[in-house]
Amino acid sequence: MHYQRIQMIFHRLLAPRRSLRLKLVILFLIAALLPLFTFGWLSFTKSSELLQDQLGKYGSNAVTQLQYQLDSELSQMELVTEYVHAYLLNPSRIAIHREIPRSYSDLHEQSDLEDFLKALKTVKQRGLFIITKSGYFYGENSIKTTILKEQTWWKAIPADYAGEYWPGFYTPRHYKEFAENEKVLGLVVPIRNQQGALKDSRILIEMNADKMYELFHLFEKSTQAMLTIKNSTGQLIYQSAHAFKPQENDVVWSKSLSLNDWTLEARLPYKSFFQSSNIIRSYTVVGLLFSGLLALLLGFLFSSRVTGRIKRLKESMFLAGKGRLQTRIPVQDRDELGVLAHSFNRMIGQIQDLVQEITITEKLKKEAELRAFHYQINPHLLFNTLNSIQWKARLQGNEDIRKMLYHLAMLLEGNLDITQELVTLRKELDIIDHFLHIQRIRYEHEVNYEQQVDESLMHYVIPRMSLQPLLENIFFHAFEDGCGTIRVTVEEDGEDLVLRLTDNGKGMTEENRQKLLQGTYRSKRGRGLGVNNVDQKFKLHFGPLYGLDIQSVVGQGTVITIRWPKKEEDEHDNQITH
Amino acid sequence: MSNKRSMVTTLLLLIALTVSACGGGGGATSNQGSEGSSGSKDTEKTLRFATWDTGDSLKVQQDIAKLFEKQHPGVKVQIEPYADGFDQKLAASFGAGNPPDVMLMWDFPTYYTNLEPLDSFMSKDASLKLDDIYESLFNYVKVDGQTYGLPSGFTTRALYYNKKMFDDAGVPYPKDGWTWDDFKAAAKKLSNPAKKQYGFGIRTSNDPYDLQGIVWSNGGSFVSADGKDIEGQMNSPETAQAIQQFGDMLKDGSAALVGGKNQMSGDDVFKAGKIAMWESGVWPLEGFKTAKVDFGTVEMPVFPGKPVKGIVALSAISVAKQSKQKDLAWEFTKFFVSNEVIKMRSNSDLPIRKSLVQEMKFDQNPLYLPFYNMLERSDNTPAFLLNRNWKLVNRYLTTAIDSVMLGENAQDALNAAVKDAKKYIDKK
Repeated sequence: MHYQRIQMIFHRLLAPRRSLRLKLVILFLIAALLPLFTFGWLSFTKSSELLQDQLGKYGSNAVTQLQYQLDSELSQMELVTEYVHAYLLNPSRIAIHREIPRSYSDLHEQSDLEDFLKALKTVKQRGLFIITKSGYFYGENSIKTTILKEQTWWKAIPADYAGEYWPGFYTPRHYKEFAENEKVLGLVVPIRNQQGALKDSRILIEMNADKMYELFHLFEKSTQAMLTIKNSTGQLIYQSAHAFKPQENDVVWSKSLSLNDWTLEARLPYKSFFQSSNIIRSYTVVGLLFSGLLALLLGFLFSSRVTGRIKRLKESMFLAGKGRLQTRIPVQDRDELGVLAHSFNRMIGQIQDLVQEITITEKLKKEAELRAFHYQINPHLLFNTLNSIQWKARLQGNEDIRKMLYHLAMLLEGNLDITQELVTLRKELDIIDHFLHIQRIRYEHEVNYEQQVDESLMHYVIPRMSLQPLLENIFFHAFEDGCGTIRVTVEEDGEDLVLRLTDNGKGMTEENRQKLLQGTYRSKRGRGLGVNNVDQKFKLHFGPLYGLDIQSVVGQGTVITIRWPKKEEDEHDNQITH
Repeated sequence: MSNKRSMVTTLLLLIALTVSACGGGGGATSNQGSEGSSGSKDTEKTLRFATWDTGDSLKVQQDIAKLFEKQHPGVKVQIEPYADGFDQKLAASFGAGNPPDVMLMWDFPTYYTNLEPLDSFMSKDASLKLDDIYESLFNYVKVDGQTYGLPSGFTTRALYYNKKMFDDAGVPYPKDGWTWDDFKAAAKKLSNPAKKQYGFGIRTSNDPYDLQGIVWSNGGSFVSADGKDIEGQMNSPETAQAIQQFGDMLKDGSAALVGGKNQMSGDDVFKAGKIAMWESGVWPLEGFKTAKVDFGTVEMPVFPGKPVKGIVALSAISVAKQSKQKDLAWEFTKFFVSNEVIKMRSNSDLPIRKSLVQEMKFDQNPLYLPFYNMLERSDNTPAFLLNRNWKLVNRYLTTAIDSVMLGENAQDALNAAVKDAKKYIDKK
C-alpha cells in the first residue's frame, strides 16, 4: 500500500501535468517562498551589512577608548614624575644632602621628600620611589631594591637612558608583599640634572594595572579580538592570553598612543568578524526551510481538499456519462465547486426525468405498433374479394350492396393504410364520410351529419383513425335509436386547430365522463377504450398539452373538443420505420 | 473559506517568525555590560562598618558581621576595609558627609568632632557591664570628659626573648622587674656581629608613641601634663637618656637596626633567630608561635628606683555623628564589645574584659601575663591626647629619635626637634 502510494507520487512527479494537486502545491510553494526568500535575503544582507558596519565602528571605538584610557593613565604617571622633578629642582631648598641619612637634618630632608612623595600617592598607584644609583631609595618602605635590581625589565634600562622609560606591564616582585598574578604598569625616569646624593637616581612610579587588564579582557571578550601592545622597537608590551595566529585577512584596528611610542592593535579573525552575519544567514535559511515545509504541507492539505472534490465531480460525471443517472454529488460548501455540483445534480435529475418520459412514450408506440401488426390482414386479398363481390352485386343489380361494398372498401383502405400515422384533415373527413354512408345503410335511419370545415384547413394533418372511434361511440352509446344529429367543426385558434364533435344524444354523467377520459370506462360490450386512445394518440404526437376534452349534459348531448397544433403534411414525419 | 483564512494567518506568522529570527541575531550582541543592580530591599537596613584590618583579622571581622546579621534579621553589615588608607578614607568620608555608621577608632583627638558621644547610650545600657572593662582603657576614648568610643581591644608593650639564643649564650632568662642594665648586659652577651647575631633589634623608623612607656619609666615625658609645653619635657635629660641608650647599644654592637630600607622587619629577624630580644605589642605573638620560635615574654625593664610605666595601644569602636541609624549603630557597638566578639578577636587584640581574661586564663598564661601586668602600669596619658597639634610635633620628634638610632646624640637631636616643633605646640 505504502509502496504503491510512493510509486504513485513518483509517477505524478514524472508526469506533473496530469495532477492538479501537484500544480496547486507548486503554486503554494512559489507563493510562500518567493516573498519569504526575497524578504529573507533582503533582511539578511541589510542587517549583516548594518551589523558589520556597527561592529567595525564598535571595534574601532573600543580601541580608541582603550587608547584614551591608557593615555590618561600614562599621562597621570608622567605628571607625577614631572611633579617630582619640579620638587627636586626647587632652588629654595636642596632636597637631599646625603644619600643615606645620618643626622637629624638628613632625616628631616628625607622625611620631607618622603612626605612629598606620599602626598602624590593615589589609590591606583602601587608606589612612587626615587631610587639612587647605590640602591638606597626614598619613598614608602615597601620595596626591596636588591630584588628590583635583579628584575629583567629594570636591567634592560640603558645606563645612559634619558627621558621617560616605559617598561610596560610586569609583576611587582620587588615589593615586600605582592601577588604572583598581580600586574603593575611602570614608568622610570632617570634624574639627569642633579648632582650629589641624587645623581643618576631614577624616579620609579608604578600603577596597579588590574583595572587596565580588566579593560583589556573586557575588550577581548566583547569583540573576540586579540589585543597587542607594542612599542616602536617591536617589543611586546601586552598580548592577549588566548592563542591566535595572525592572518592576512584579519580585521585590524590600530591606534598609536599619543604619550609614548606604544601602538595598540586589535586583530579580529575574518571568520569572527562575519560570525553574526553567518548566524543571521543560518537563521534565515532555517526560516526559509521551515516556511517552505509548512507551505508544502498546507498546499498539500488544501489542494487535496480542492482536488479531491474536483476528482469526485469528475468521477460522478464519468459515471453519469456511462448511464448511471442516479449518481449524485454530495454538496458540502456553497463555493463555486458546490454550485457546480448542485448544477450537475440538477442536470442529471432532468436528464433522468426526460429519459423516463421517452421510455414510456417508446413503450406506448411499440404497443400500438404491435397492435397494428396484430390486425394486419392482407389488404389485397380483402380488396380484391370486396371488388369481386361488388362486381357480382352490380351484375345482379343490387345497388345497395354495391354501394355498401364501395364505402366499406374505401373505409377499409383508409383504416388499413398504416404507412401513414398522420393524414390530412381532408382524408380523415373523407373516411368519416364513407363510415357515415355505411352507417346510414346499416341502420336505415337518417343521421344528420353536418360538417363545417374551412377549405383552407383541409391540408393540416391529424392522427389517422382519430375521428372514427369517436363516431362509433356516438352510434353505439349516444344514439340508441340510431337517430340524431352529428356536427363536426374545425376552427383555427392561433397556432392550434380546434375540432368540435357535437351530438345531441343522451349524454353522459360526470362520473362516466371522467372514466371515459381516463380510459377506465367499460361498457357492457367491452368497449370504451376508444376515447382514451384518441386522446393518447394526440398526446403522443403533439405532447401532453394537446388532446381531447369532453363536455356533456345528460339527455342533451355531448361535445368532444380536440385541440392540436397546426401542422402540414411532411413526407418524413409520416414514415413509420421498422 | 476558513481554509484560506488560516492559510493567510499562517503565512503572516511565518514572515513574522523569519523577521524576528533575523532581529534576534542583531540583538544578541547588544546585551553586554548591563550588570544586574543588586539593590537591597527597602526593608533591609545596611550598616556600614569601617575597619583597618586586612588578611586574617579582616576575615574575623566578616564572621562577626555575619553573626550580627544572624542575630538581627533584616540588617546587613557592609564591611568597608580601608586597610592602609584608613585615615585618608575616613577623613574623606567625614568630609563628604557620608561616613560609615560604625568604625574602628584610635585617634580620638583628630576625629572626635565627627563622632557621636556615647555616654548617654552607656548609662542607659546596664548589659554593657562597663566595670568589667579595664578602667584605664577609657582614658584613651575620652576627649574633654566625653566618651567617643568603646574600647574593643588593646595591647601593651613587652619584651619577647628567644629562649634558644639565651640558652646558647648561657644567659639566664629575664624576669619581671629586671633593670635596663640587666637588659643591656644580656644583649651584649647575646650579640655576635660576626654571625650577624644581636641581642636586641631596634627599629630604623620609630613611632615615638611606642617609646613613651620607656620615657615615662625614666621619669621623662614628651609633653607637660597640661599638654602645653614640650620645652624641658621632650628634651629633658630623662627623656634623652631613655632614647640615647638605644643609640648606644647600636654603637657598641649589642643591637641591630631592623625594618629599614632594604632590611627585614623586626618580626622576621626575630623569627629568623638573628635578634635575641624584641620589643613589641601582642600582635606578632601568634606569628611567632606559628613560626615555632621558642620564645618567652617579660615585662619592660626598670630604671632603678623608678616605677615601670607602660603604654597602651587601643583600638576602640565609635559611631559617626552623621549616622542616620545611631540606635542600630549602638547595637553593633555594644555587640562588638560583648564577650562573644572579644573572644573572636583575641588572636589580634587582648581582651578588654577582666572576666574574659580570667575565663580564657590569660592571667595565668606566662606569654600573655606581662602584657596585662604592663596594663596595670599604663596610667600615664599619652601625648597625643594632651595636645591637639601633636601630629605636627610628632613629626620632628620622630626625626629626632630616628636620627639617634643613626648615631646622633639624643640630647642634641631632641633639642633641635623642640626648636623646630615649638611653633606648633601653641597653635590651637
